[in-house]
Amino acid sequence: MRKRIYIDIYSFFALLIFLIIIIFPYFWTLISSLKTAADFLHPLKFNFTPTLSHWANVINSQIPHQGINSILVGIITVVIALTVGAPAAYSFSRFNTGGEKTRFLILLSQMLPPAVLIVPIFLLMYSLKLLDTIWAVIFAHLTFITPLVTWFLIGFFDDVPRELEEAAKVDGCTPWQAFLWIVLPTIRPGLAAASLFGFILSWNDLYYALLLTGGKSKTLPVGIAGYWTFRGVEMGQMSSAIILAIIPVIIASFFIQKYLVRGLGGGAIKG
Amino acid sequence: MDERDFKYRLIIPLALLLIIVMIYPLGYSLWVSLHDFKLTSIGQEHFIGFSNYWNILKDHSFWRAISNTIIFVVLAVFLEFLIGFTLALMLHRETTPFRNIFRAILLSPMFITPIAVGLMFRFLLNSQLGFVPVILNKLGINIDWFSYKMALFTLVLIDVWQWTPFMLLLLLAGLESLSQDPFEAAKVDGAEGWNLIRYITLPLLKPVILAAIIIRMLDAFKVYEYVYAITRGGPGEATETIQYHIYRVGFLYFRLGEASAMAYLLIIVILVLVLILYHVLQREHANL
Repeated sequence: MRKRIYIDIYSFFALLIFLIIIIFPYFWTLISSLKTAADFLHPLKFNFTPTLSHWANVINSQIPHQGINSILVGIITVVIALTVGAPAAYSFSRFNTGGEKTRFLILLSQMLPPAVLIVPIFLLMYSLKLLDTIWAVIFAHLTFITPLVTWFLIGFFDDVPRELEEAAKVDGCTPWQAFLWIVLPTIRPGLAAASLFGFILSWNDLYYALLLTGGKSKTLPVGIAGYWTFRGVEMGQMSSAIILAIIPVIIASFFIQKYLVRGLGGGAIKG
Repeated sequence: MDERDFKYRLIIPLALLLIIVMIYPLGYSLWVSLHDFKLTSIGQEHFIGFSNYWNILKDHSFWRAISNTIIFVVLAVFLEFLIGFTLALMLHRETTPFRNIFRAILLSPMFITPIAVGLMFRFLLNSQLGFVPVILNKLGINIDWFSYKMALFTLVLIDVWQWTPFMLLLLLAGLESLSQDPFEAAKVDGAEGWNLIRYITLPLLKPVILAAIIIRMLDAFKVYEYVYAITRGGPGEATETIQYHIYRVGFLYFRLGEASAMAYLLIIVILVLVLILYHVLQREHANL
């Protein structure tokens, strides 16, 4: 009993140290977004007079527009991925279509490094005259978000009892109606988590967006990457933009953490 | 409509989409890799067989990028597993105070955009403006985090900061799904502490550990944003990773044929490594 309490105390303090390591970079970035340029020269000074000028500059820059681009890309990508992914995931879960190998292939295809696909996608978008539009990024994001969403939903369909469809069949539903009106609504949390996670991955991508967009079509990560280049540094604005990009995602993550294991395990790990 | 028909109809949209966005680009890329394809002279390419491949295999920079990437992946995933497993054990204990709050916050880095992580650490570790070097300096320690010798390791640490949470997430779920019976039995036999972990937890958790390590390794091979945000491959070629190298050759030097060939070689390297790893871990498993 005493030993257990000691381990509790050790665990608590060890976790506290890791917590500080995780939180400090966020805290530092937030502080930096409120510092004047002169105060940057004193990294240890925390009792400075805060300024909102960096935030004002960021709000009046391209960043809000780039944020909207990111939101559009994320939503369109996720809607397409869900539309084609959900029926397929249902088929993999219920009828084991294509067997274990197909499931594994879905998992692997989502792991393909972007470097492998960027050259052909770039050339394809060039010949379709879609370079520097958000459609090019949507096309590229579909390559990893579609398999991810499909894989993610398999585990949730596995949890739906088969009796549900049997009952629907007795009531005169076709298999398609049973899927659409009976099964799909029961995995609403899974659909929400898959959408949110897919959206976050799209929101976070730099590699594709950097090469496929430019000017007006830049997404938020591309905008953020532009703050610290060989041409110049804008620490304060960069910090504000980073905070803007990560806060919504961290808040969203609290809602999906619970479902993430079920989804990422693709039915392999029970969450 | 019988069931056989139905189950295939359900996957047709997915199959079509993947053919358009994946299979077709992969085929196109293979075609590009067999030509002297340059971004500066599109439409004037010639078939050159496997020349791109032979040239790359003889290219020192390619091998440097591959070895940098492998060092990065192995070090990062090893550290992430070690820390992730320790954290998972602590968070798995029901009596650990505030464990739900700890878990929610400790998992947060895996959700944020890697370019932001790269820039935050570039700032934090900057030798004049960064908090970490200034504090260490006061303690009499002088580390240049982005020097030739340190830079790759610094990128590893940044990766550990961001991706240990992923390892933690999977391992914690694995721990929670284990049956309690073997633990009770072992405790009756007098096993405790490290022995319990070594002989009961680790073997039972093996499939989850295997999956977590392989997924994380495949993901770590894609490292790019930290390099782009901080070092751009430098100093020298110290942090030139393969994903960055393909970007450089294809889009900074405009040699798309070579970049495509490199991408195909990368797939082969990754497949070989995954197979080796899979077999090694399987044999370990048999020995236990």
